Amino acid sequence: MDFIAPLIFVILAAIVVAGGLAVVLLPRITGSALSMGLSFLGMAGLFALLGAETIAFFQVLIYVGAITVLILYGVMLTRVAPAGADRRLFFQKQAGWALVPLTFVGVVATVFALSFQSNVVQQPGGDLEPLANAVFRDYAFPFEVASVLLLAAMIGAIALVKRGDD
Amino acid sequence: MLSVPLGWFIAVSSALFFIGAAGVLVRRNAVVILMCVELMLNAANLALVAFSRRLSDATPRGSVFVIFTFVIAAAEVAVGLAIVLAAYRNQPTVEVDEIHELKG
Repeated sequence: MDFIAPLIFVILAAIVVAGGLAVVLLPRITGSALSMGLSFLGMAGLFALLGAETIAFFQVLIYVGAITVLILYGVMLTRVAPAGADRRLFFQKQAGWALVPLTFVGVVATVFALSFQSNVVQQPGGDLEPLANAVFRDYAFPFEVASVLLLAAMIGAIALVKRGDD
Repeated sequence: MLSVPLGWFIAVSSALFFIGAAGVLVRRNAVVILMCVELMLNAANLALVAFSRRLSDATPRGSVFVIFTFVIAAAEVAVGLAIVLAAYRNQPTVEVDEIHELKG
């Protein structure tokens, strides 16, 4: 039964990477947003495979539920202009595409050279209880500060898009 | 015991991160650029959780970091979309190359 986990990993990794590539490559923005949601779902599966079930749950709740819907609203409220004059610098697109694989190969080679070959340890009993202990005991103050940050971001977003006629 | 090496998770994480980076560099639509930033944040989350599992500490510090990253990502996408919509109201385009009011 030792091949099940690598098989699941390969399937989920393919979903994540294909979804990410579709976000970048699809010409229609709606397709990009939906494939971003697919990539987030695959990432939730990877979290669950790592034994972080609570994080996987939050991933589905926040990323797939909230952020994808918010991005879809952004797509809905903006209109794609017809392709105008290309204002990019010469070779800007080619330089972007060339830079990324080079750095990717460098990072992956470094990771494997540092021999992170060891298997991931999975603890029994799930991660909700240690996570709750950490967040609400050791990191209680940063947690409260994060909630203030969310409130500030919400007020800021409302203030930015509010029409100025009242 | 899970039989997937840590390096594989890091490889997927860096692949997704650099796909997002490529999107930020080559796409012109501001909403797509926001999506690519979200992909990069998510890739960083995967790396954090994977390293946290590797350490197998009693306190899952990596997962705590990921929770704070979720908060930051939610705030970022809300404010980012608000800025995009405000710019769109000012000048009806979301192509970042067309927003050049401050260009000399």
